[in-house]
Amino acid sequence: MTAGVLPLTGSAPRKPRRRWLPAHYWLVAPALVLIGVFLVLPYFNIIVMSFRAPAVGAPYAPGFSGGNYLRILSDSYFLGVLADTVFLGFVTALVCLLLGYPVAYHLARTRSRFRGLLYVFVLSPLLVGVVIRTFGWLILLSGNGVINRALVDLGLAERALTLMNNRFGVTVALVHVFLPFMILPLVAAIGSIDPNLEAAGRSLGAGRWTVFRRIFLPLSLPGIQAGTILVFVLAMSAYVTPVMLGGAQVKTMPVLVVQNLIDNFQWPMGAALALVLAVTGIVLVWVYARLTGALMRGVQ
Amino acid sequence: MSAGRARRGAWLRRPFRALPALFVAAVYVFLLAPILLIVLLSLNAGEFLAFPPQGLSLRWYGALFGNEPFMRAIGTSLWVATIAAAVSTAVGTAAALFFVRHAGRMRETLRMLVMMPLMLPEILTAIALLFFVYATGIGTQTMFGLVVGHVLVTLPYAFMNVASSLYNFDRSIEEAARSLGARPFTVFRRVTLPLIKPGIITGALFAFIVSFDLFNMSLLLKGIGMTTLPIQLFDYLRWDFDPTAAAVSSLSIVMTFTIILFVDRVIGLRSLRFG
Repeated sequence: MTAGVLPLTGSAPRKPRRRWLPAHYWLVAPALVLIGVFLVLPYFNIIVMSFRAPAVGAPYAPGFSGGNYLRILSDSYFLGVLADTVFLGFVTALVCLLLGYPVAYHLARTRSRFRGLLYVFVLSPLLVGVVIRTFGWLILLSGNGVINRALVDLGLAERALTLMNNRFGVTVALVHVFLPFMILPLVAAIGSIDPNLEAAGRSLGAGRWTVFRRIFLPLSLPGIQAGTILVFVLAMSAYVTPVMLGGAQVKTMPVLVVQNLIDNFQWPMGAALALVLAVTGIVLVWVYARLTGALMRGVQ
Repeated sequence: MSAGRARRGAWLRRPFRALPALFVAAVYVFLLAPILLIVLLSLNAGEFLAFPPQGLSLRWYGALFGNEPFMRAIGTSLWVATIAAAVSTAVGTAAALFFVRHAGRMRETLRMLVMMPLMLPEILTAIALLFFVYATGIGTQTMFGLVVGHVLVTLPYAFMNVASSLYNFDRSIEEAARSLGARPFTVFRRVTLPLIKPGIITGALFAFIVSFDLFNMSLLLKGIGMTTLPIQLFDYLRWDFDPTAAAVSSLSIVMTFTIILFVDRVIGLRSLRFG
């Protein structure tokens, strides 16, 4: 912050006081201190922690080494979990896009009286805690759950299907949890497309599919980009849903990280795993943003 | 009337036209189903979390109120959420005032900084804070680390809501008060504050909801005897799977939607900023 502002002199109505910080900076000081001390500093500290040596009976030992990273990057188990986590994020983002686009279109264009209510519907998974949402899917997907009961009772399945403790269950619940993060940016993007463009395209003889492909898709790319990145990152870093619905079968990076931190008490390893995931995520998002950015420039 | 019949006729002749609408409706059902199911099954008279419920009763709410760990966890969550909402609203309101009125060229940087807890994965922030409170000796014996974590995550909600109410603010009203001799603090208390009150209340309520539901932060930063409701529910579901869990979840859901309804009725959801 620029603290060295000259004190006012001259004919001010009230006697000017010397201040080392102009008064209005005090407004923002608490927020900056909070973020600086309890967010920025601790994030740098994760990096330091990831280079610590492991210890027995304590979170970490004195001294530094790159051993944690070497272990992660040379162990096919860790790399497999990392690949699974990225794949889970990718599939979740893709399914969210396919389900979310039509809903976003509807929400952006509808003149229904119930628009506000529909908004609340879309927001509802966000407003209910993640444990509760996942609990809902537990009731639906478990071996003796609502869906399996219905399938067996209606004679559609001979015996209960395995709908959870596998990737399927985790993906379904992740899509549910993060769909709002896809729909909201899409609504904003589609809402800003002039409806006349659609009418013009149609009147010039373009079919619905052509109008979508040539007009909507390119113009809503910013929303698609924002939504997919958000969902990808969120799904990759989700902890509760993979733990509750994945059982022992689905291991993702956040699950491994928490295991290392809480159960094994191996903080340096946990920190290194978390950073490997974060860096992977950042690199992938960066590449993706470059690619979609090039596409968007093509539109303008 | 005739127009309606004509439309219905077209619908019958071209059933494909109805497909998009059906798809959208199905997605809405998908979004709501798990949540509605929990509320429905919490009223189950039977022993199990089975659908359809075997009669309606409030027996599981009775079981919930007799469940000591759940009641204590609800108390802890209410307490933590209240403190976190109060602190983040105060800090966020002040920061929003600076952001809208004085930030100048720092504007984008400041916005990014304050919104950062929303952009960063909650679990990563929780890990960072865990290491930090350990390294600084703050530890998890007190609620401090837990509350700071909740404040960080809820700050963006308070900030966004107050900032958006400051955007459509007619500053000439403040000028008028000042020219009539009001001191800066009086202007703030008597003019500014009442006008941005809707934004502050919305922000505080959302901060409260978000904090009440926060899981990852609490998982890593809770000390002994600081089990919040989401943590308690998570632990409970590992061993038990009965409608008590549905009852406590329903209470939380109903609380949230009551708050949303209140915001919508009294302040208007249009002022809502979520993310």
